[in-house]
Amino acid sequence: MWKVIFRKEFAEVFGDSRTRFNVVIGPLLFTPLLLALIGSLSRSQAKEAQKQQVQIGVVGLKNAASVNAELNGSKAKGITFVEVSSTAEAEQKIRSRQLSAALIIASDAEEKMKSEESAPLMVVDDPGSESSQQGADRLREYLRLRGDQIAARRLQSKGIPTQTTQPFLLTDREMTGSGRGMLMLTAFLPYVLSISAIMGGLMAATNTVAGEKERGTLETLLVTPVSRQDIAIGKFLTVTATALISGTLSLIGMLWPFYVKLPMFAWMASQGISFKPAAIIALILVQIPLAVFGAGMLLALSTYAKNQREMQTYTVPVLLLGTVGALLSMLLKADSPLIWSVVPITNAALVLKQALQGIVDLPFITIACLTSLLYAVAAVMLAAHLFRRESVLTRF
Amino acid sequence: MIKIDNIKKTFHDKKRGTIPAVDGVSLEAYPGEIFGLLGPNGAGKTTLLRIMATILAPTSGSAEIGGYDIVRDPEKVRAQIGYLSGSAGLYERLTGRQVLHYFASLYGLKSVQATQRINGLIEELDMGSYVDGRCDQFSTGQKQRVSIARAVIHDPPVLFFDEPTNGLDLIAARTVVRYIRERRAAGKCVVFSTHIMSEVEALCDRIAIIYEGKVAAIGTMTELRERTGAQVFEDVFLRIIGLEEN
Repeated sequence: MWKVIFRKEFAEVFGDSRTRFNVVIGPLLFTPLLLALIGSLSRSQAKEAQKQQVQIGVVGLKNAASVNAELNGSKAKGITFVEVSSTAEAEQKIRSRQLSAALIIASDAEEKMKSEESAPLMVVDDPGSESSQQGADRLREYLRLRGDQIAARRLQSKGIPTQTTQPFLLTDREMTGSGRGMLMLTAFLPYVLSISAIMGGLMAATNTVAGEKERGTLETLLVTPVSRQDIAIGKFLTVTATALISGTLSLIGMLWPFYVKLPMFAWMASQGISFKPAAIIALILVQIPLAVFGAGMLLALSTYAKNQREMQTYTVPVLLLGTVGALLSMLLKADSPLIWSVVPITNAALVLKQALQGIVDLPFITIACLTSLLYAVAAVMLAAHLFRRESVLTRF
Repeated sequence: MIKIDNIKKTFHDKKRGTIPAVDGVSLEAYPGEIFGLLGPNGAGKTTLLRIMATILAPTSGSAEIGGYDIVRDPEKVRAQIGYLSGSAGLYERLTGRQVLHYFASLYGLKSVQATQRINGLIEELDMGSYVDGRCDQFSTGQKQRVSIARAVIHDPPVLFFDEPTNGLDLIAARTVVRYIRERRAAGKCVVFSTHIMSEVEALCDRIAIIYEGKVAAIGTMTELRERTGAQVFEDVFLRIIGLEEN
């Protein structure tokens, strides 16, 4: 009889436009579109920052003619130097955002330049200001380039080839099947999949018991000859299936931009991605117990709650812990210490991260899969226990 | 058909301690009669009906419905009964017909049998004009007719109606009352719970007056009038529960 209940519950859950939006449309369309938006915004901001002129204060310019000469032509590189009388004044102007950063030229800089030694220069910036940091970075890059040019001139005047100071000729070649896209997937996919597995079944779980209590339909179900066990199984499978669909569609949502070549995804998808078989096995091994764990927990809460509002109250701390667990996987290294393999959700997310990075840490994977399974069984047992308790189930 | 023997049900509350909701109720009801449970709100009528419908387990005592024990064979008991309460809801995103098909499946009716039964009920309860619409668009009266059809989809020999006219307008309430009478005529055993005196007078063959979880009196209308010496049923009720002197 659980099949009859499952079929009806499943059809009803997906008959709800909110579920269709959260479980189907959201992961398939909005997640990739959000990524495209974030990507294009960050790129346009970076371009904009490159175009913008930054104001850099300079202290000690009058006594350093040689350094001053090197600063000429900076406007073409987007840097405008403004003479400032003292370090204190420069700091005050950085704080009031009149300057991005400042360059302090030491009193003996001119002398050092002339004697072809290193002239002491100090860059002052505000570590609490992003624009100050960006301005200081551009200043350092500019000074590094000019410094290289001066060094080349000095070497040439001595008849020494510039290669003398460059013993290695470095070139870069990026591998295909990796790049920004793979980096992004490794960081986000474990988080997104863990969250989907836990939260994907939220609406189904809320609707299927707490919602039924509230609408007065659970009582009508309890007076049918169907056993409590069949009712619980039908509802549990509905929530698990919804969570699995949510996880699968989230995965598809994160992957399709790499295969459908649209310009908006070029920034992350141009270098492609490569999935090892281990990654796919890990996805399956981890997703199922995660979805079962989430479904068990949510169904237990929904059974305990008297109505949907109560259910929402109970789910807040659980979802918060779930989100923190998934977020931890973004902060931790894939090959984290073994202790993390017993932390629910984080362990599953780390197994996914390892698989995506091609790391096969068998003890970690084994413990993580076993503990995930254990947590899933415990969650299902809790839900079943509550479903058997008359005082909980009949809180109409 | 229904035999209840010294049923008790207590609830535990952190603040109020142990609450006896049903306190030693014994009664019998037979096929072809409407047996009324009359009592004020909180008297224990709904708890008693929920025990008989096996939603709640009794703390002590025993009960048989259609020959099956409510504790030992709850699923067989549920196959014998139809249960409708005033607070019963419908699946709002399903149509009336889908709801009826769903419950027909839960009661184990085969597809052809279910379709025939549903069509019969649609005609009997005059639901043809709206039954294919979504339940969330039905009026209260329309919902109640679908709920009745849902409760009797398997044509059970025993029917429990817990305040089924609650919140209904006059026309909808009359439909319910008419349907209950027809069930009696069809030889069903109907247990009808209410706090509305006029419904009891109009419908019930025998009545149990429930007060503070106990059966304060049981008998036909005539027997209860003779016992109290009152003619107006409200006076009968008040005298039995001890709130008015003879």
